[in-house]
Amino acid sequence: MSLLRADLGEAEAATSIEPESSSPGAQAQEFVGRTPWRLAWARLRKDRVAMVSLGVVILLVLVALLAPALTALIGHPPNAQYTTTGLSLSGIPVGPGHNGFLLGADDQGRDILSRIIYGTQVSLEVGVGSTAIALAVGMVVGLVAGFYGGLVDTLLGRFMDILLSFPILLFALAIVARFGPSLELVLIVIALFTWPYIGRLVRGQVISLREREFVEAARALGAGDLRIMFVEIAPNLIALAVIYATLLIPVNIVTEATLSFLGLGVQPPTASWGNMISEAQTGDLFTVAWWFLVFPCVALVVTTLAFNLLGDGLRDALDPRYGRSQIPTPTRVRRAARLMRGKAADEAKAGAS
Amino acid sequence: MTATDLDFSSEISQGDLLLEVIDVVKHFPVRSGSLVDRTKAQVRAVDGVSFSLRVGETLGLVGESGCGKSTLARLITALLPVTSGQIKFRGRDITALRRREMRPLRRSIQMVFQDPYGSLNPRRRVGSILSDPFIVHEKLARDEVKRQVQDVMARVGLSPEHYNRFPSEFSGGQRQRIGIARALALRPDLIICDEPVSALDVSIQAQIINLLEDLQDEFMLTYVFIAHDLSVVRHVSDRIAVMYLGTFAETGPVEEIYNQCRHPYTASLLSAVPVAEDAFRGDRKARVILTGDVPTPVAPPSGCRFHPRCPKAQAICATEVPVLEQKPGDSPGHLTACHFPITEGEPLALASRERSTGVPVTITEPTAPEPEGANP
Repeated sequence: MSLLRADLGEAEAATSIEPESSSPGAQAQEFVGRTPWRLAWARLRKDRVAMVSLGVVILLVLVALLAPALTALIGHPPNAQYTTTGLSLSGIPVGPGHNGFLLGADDQGRDILSRIIYGTQVSLEVGVGSTAIALAVGMVVGLVAGFYGGLVDTLLGRFMDILLSFPILLFALAIVARFGPSLELVLIVIALFTWPYIGRLVRGQVISLREREFVEAARALGAGDLRIMFVEIAPNLIALAVIYATLLIPVNIVTEATLSFLGLGVQPPTASWGNMISEAQTGDLFTVAWWFLVFPCVALVVTTLAFNLLGDGLRDALDPRYGRSQIPTPTRVRRAARLMRGKAADEAKAGAS
Repeated sequence: MTATDLDFSSEISQGDLLLEVIDVVKHFPVRSGSLVDRTKAQVRAVDGVSFSLRVGETLGLVGESGCGKSTLARLITALLPVTSGQIKFRGRDITALRRREMRPLRRSIQMVFQDPYGSLNPRRRVGSILSDPFIVHEKLARDEVKRQVQDVMARVGLSPEHYNRFPSEFSGGQRQRIGIARALALRPDLIICDEPVSALDVSIQAQIINLLEDLQDEFMLTYVFIAHDLSVVRHVSDRIAVMYLGTFAETGPVEEIYNQCRHPYTASLLSAVPVAEDAFRGDRKARVILTGDVPTPVAPPSGCRFHPRCPKAQAICATEVPVLEQKPGDSPGHLTACHFPITEGEPLALASRERSTGVPVTITEPTAPEPEGANP
């Protein structure tokens, strides 16, 4: 395994040296520096799983942004009830592909595809929104705690521990029950309970970064604490933040779906994947009309998986120190094999001459 | 305290007194337990060091790892507060300055760091790193900053077009040039070089040392040059100071120390310098082998700190702390802290072999080859 990983590392190094020029004239231009981000992107591009996931994520974002246009194209607004075309005479919803309902209709004759499209909006809004808040708060608190250490660190650290020890779902339910369900509240509640994850991570990183000589150099120049924290240390945290934000988004999407499923998130008739699943399984109708339950679940699974795999890929690309994923994916095995063959060929050539 | 009091920008001329370090002490508390902050012991990193430095001079600071060289550097640059003692820069005590008062001082005392990899922020472009001094101190317009940065890059032998590169795109020597450019940017009076070349290849070391010497002439810089490579120190320094466990063992003009050192520790350090060609050095001193390790600075030995390892140690060395003073026959700047300073031609190497083997040595040939593995 370690041999394989070492080989992969070499393969990366070998390929990333090549200039990334799409046009032949690019070589004549000034040498383009391999910035850390450029290197990471070069690594990410070779990770097929991550690239597919990135494609899915981009698609999801487009779907969310273009939701009104897409549903207009389909011709079925998300909350419109098509009692004549969407339901059969006995009241059973039509299946996928019938009467222009690509993914079928639900028990009230609403188009499942349109609802999933609008559900994407909700999921991404809550998932990305709450993660963004968590990231901002977590970064600042982690920076302050790690940078100042001592009592500040102890207090903030214990506070984060306390928040992390709460059963999120139970507490979120209580808050939502008290203040009444709304999208914004769900978003904030989720952020409230997830920022300590980022905060602790950042804190740990800052503790090691603040001992680095470049921080001392900044101090010797007369830079203040704020400047050191945000100009010197923070740029070194971005890679970490990007990785964990990408991994936190799907968690938050699932939390939103769970709250909506329990009736305390997004309120019907507004569509969200969580309340769609909830509505689908309240009766026994899903035993006949399976599409009704399955498609929102598929949407949720695909989204979660895409973000998670993208996060893994980003971690491999941005922070190679942590080592690549342990799983020898087909791509990786093939790549290693190709490299070995290439090496053998080179050696044969060297031996011949 | 008024603003004019703190102005370090007035003209100074060669030979003026720039820095005075007076009996400086730095102890680091060793704590245990996070709830009850009980100070259990003190690491006596720097324990009573005094010296002074004139404009244009270079003081070489040598000693083993952990002897307090780097701590002393950080005390002079006010990166660490002193435990006691005074550091006077251009006649003003800088140890009691408040944060705001420290700013003009930062311009005047700069530091070049040992590790050219760790001392540059890997996520920032060189142009950005080098514009820090101007942004922090001068509040210049953006394109003026850029001009200044490119100017200082050219000054240290970097190509100004590399403004937009990241540190990872430079070699170790180039990175150290960036570090020097950063220190030089605000035209300081004093630069503390904390082992500036020990992380570099020998050929690059020469380039960097030459650069530092050129800059010294050009800008009338004063250096404190920390190193453990004695040949480098001999080349760059006017005076050297030998540190052992937080104190000066010996200090003086560089050639006098290299030719006739008084402290047995200096002798052992000098005898450890590898010599490339024996045939040309008939006067080669036989090696002085020390026994044991450097004692812990938490509990330094009583009396002379060097006595447990000293080949010449006697009873008084364990009880009385030797004073750093001029010994008979030395020039006024040559001070030694030793009860029994080495006299000219004294065969110290024999005494050290006697101590390390425990057997009296009767060989009188100082250049006799030493058997392999004789000293564990």
